[in-house]
Amino acid sequence: MKKNLILGMAAAAATLAVSAVAVSAEPVEVELWHYFDQSADSKAIVEWVDEYNSMQEDIHITATYVSRDELMNQYTVGALSGELPDIGMVDSPDMASYISLGVFEDITAELEEWGELDQFYAGPLSSCMDSEGNLYGLPQNSNCLALACNMDALEAAGYDHMPTSLAELQEMAEACTDADSQTYGFAMSCISTEEGTFQILPWLRGTQNGAERANVSDLTAESAVTGLTALANMVNNGSMSKECINWNQSDVFNQFASGKAAMAEIGTWHLAQTDTIAGFNYDFCLLPTGDEGTSSSTIGGENFGVCTGAENKEACVEFLKWMCSKEKSGEWGVVAGKIPTRTDATAEYDYEQDGFAVFTEEMNYADARGPHPEWPSISEAIYSAVQSVVVDGADPAEALAGAMETITPIIEETPLPETE
Amino acid sequence: MKSKKALSGGTKDGYIFILPAFFYMLLVLGYPLVYNLVLSFKNVDVKNFTKGGSVFVGLENYIHLFNDDTFLLVLRNTFIFTIACLVFQFTIGFAFAMFFNQKFKVSGPIRGMILVSYMMPMSVTGLLGKNIFANDGLVNDLLSKIGINGPEWLVTGATALIAVIIMNCWVGIPFNMLLLMSGLTSVSQDVYESASIDGANWVEKFVFITLPLMKGSIMAVLMLGFIYTFRAFDLMYIMTAGGPLNATDVLGTYSYVRSFTQFEFSEGSAIAMVLFACLFVIGLFYLRLLAKEDD
Repeated sequence: MKKNLILGMAAAAATLAVSAVAVSAEPVEVELWHYFDQSADSKAIVEWVDEYNSMQEDIHITATYVSRDELMNQYTVGALSGELPDIGMVDSPDMASYISLGVFEDITAELEEWGELDQFYAGPLSSCMDSEGNLYGLPQNSNCLALACNMDALEAAGYDHMPTSLAELQEMAEACTDADSQTYGFAMSCISTEEGTFQILPWLRGTQNGAERANVSDLTAESAVTGLTALANMVNNGSMSKECINWNQSDVFNQFASGKAAMAEIGTWHLAQTDTIAGFNYDFCLLPTGDEGTSSSTIGGENFGVCTGAENKEACVEFLKWMCSKEKSGEWGVVAGKIPTRTDATAEYDYEQDGFAVFTEEMNYADARGPHPEWPSISEAIYSAVQSVVVDGADPAEALAGAMETITPIIEETPLPETE
Repeated sequence: MKSKKALSGGTKDGYIFILPAFFYMLLVLGYPLVYNLVLSFKNVDVKNFTKGGSVFVGLENYIHLFNDDTFLLVLRNTFIFTIACLVFQFTIGFAFAMFFNQKFKVSGPIRGMILVSYMMPMSVTGLLGKNIFANDGLVNDLLSKIGINGPEWLVTGATALIAVIIMNCWVGIPFNMLLLMSGLTSVSQDVYESASIDGANWVEKFVFITLPLMKGSIMAVLMLGFIYTFRAFDLMYIMTAGGPLNATDVLGTYSYVRSFTQFEFSEGSAIAMVLFACLFVIGLFYLRLLAKEDD
């Protein structure tokens, strides 16, 4: 009996010891929310999280998909209620607003200690900062806009090359338009959301007649008016559909892929979807937004930040550092059809290599939006001005002057960064 | 005296019985409402949302709204949308209800098919609307077959609002039909029979029997229809994103955009309060009508 008792006590002690070890070895739980919804990137994020969870035992990441609109609402509500994930994904121009709302945590010290910040491109990295230069996250991927051309349609219209200037784009778009079959020469998005502003800005920031490119703080500049007038002309002569005000970027790409638009302003990520283009030869070139041989574009991309109140800030930062490392940055570019955010990362694209080369070159002419906590209001003023030109036939100069009436007081209170 | 005492005891019991519902209403309706009202009198935006520093600005947000052309357009859109939808979905729904109330052979299956549009999520209806009212969409395709060059529905303000109204009626008609049919079944056939014996024709039967006996159902349908339509959101959010140039923006979408996209929280709350005030007035009007009927 006594022996049994001793054995029992020993077994209990052993169980306790084992469970104590188990408790101490329990990995830190980190909740990550994202809105990747394309087949390639939504699959990749799950695989990456699995890979990270299996390569170490200290941190366990759980990735949850939340639709983009819903996720943004959650951030706003969560800023007050405190119900936020540990790591959250956000579109780069929106991050400044959410930093101002207190959604993200300052992780400057942890990232500076890492010593790899100088490897990131300045534009994407600045979108993770507040006005004082503190960092709240890391840019995970980058993209920009370029021109996709249906080479068969251009050839049929008598052209053997892609447009290299705004004037040539207008001429070629008109030549490729066929009103009877509702085929347009050029397609882009002017929708009343951030996507619209993203696509509109390159045309307002083109180099016109050798003049310096306009910036958001001066959209009444002659070059911006010239750019918008060109878009208005294409709408008025029918080479661009007025429906651009309802098209998002996915709709624009579908117009191009289905042969309904001879040329289209598309994003880097569309290179991963070129298998939907059927029945014609296509090619890509720099956005011809101004003088011969010049170009302008907009930088896009997604950032990941550590949310306020995250229980294990260090664990979150560790994962971000892994996800945005040199190797992973390049890998993500290939998987999701994006451009790495690091200068030292190389994306070994095994598809559409020429296309990626164009987009990578376009990055040299691409400008970031903001960062500015009131960017959504600035953005609304820009797309509303363009919509009034497209829908109501407003005068481009007057429409842009109207936009500046909204933008000027905002940037007088909190100026845009100097690159703007 | 004895009966009065018993009554007051019963009233006390009654108050205890409604306590749970009262607290529920206080928590679920009262708190957000008061919070929203307070927010609408402050100047909360992206800069001071969590950092603090917002101050009471009195009626400034409301004054700004009623001097803002966009808000006045949105208010006008909301009333046009609601009244147009109510008129069309009620009259067509009533006609369908009367039609399917005649017990003919295939009335059941057809009625079921009409209900499909009501069962679909509004986001799907919005996407469907976006496609069928596109320049080369189904509607213009059908119009071209009879020699009509269809308009650019979702590109011009007036036609975009019409398109959104049509899509909302597509969902609202079966809803009205369903409620009015249940009202119709409660009208006794004996009344119609005796009216026939007295020589009443179908118009007289409709005006002097159907309408008065269905007054309760009609009021309920109109009231519910007004509330559902006035606070519409998802249809225009998906179908037109409120565009072109706010032509299809209604109070619901505009309040959402001001609060959650532009981060002008106090202004968004003020818009929501205007929406609430409109519905509150309609609700009071309905309650008064009900009280009159009871008298």
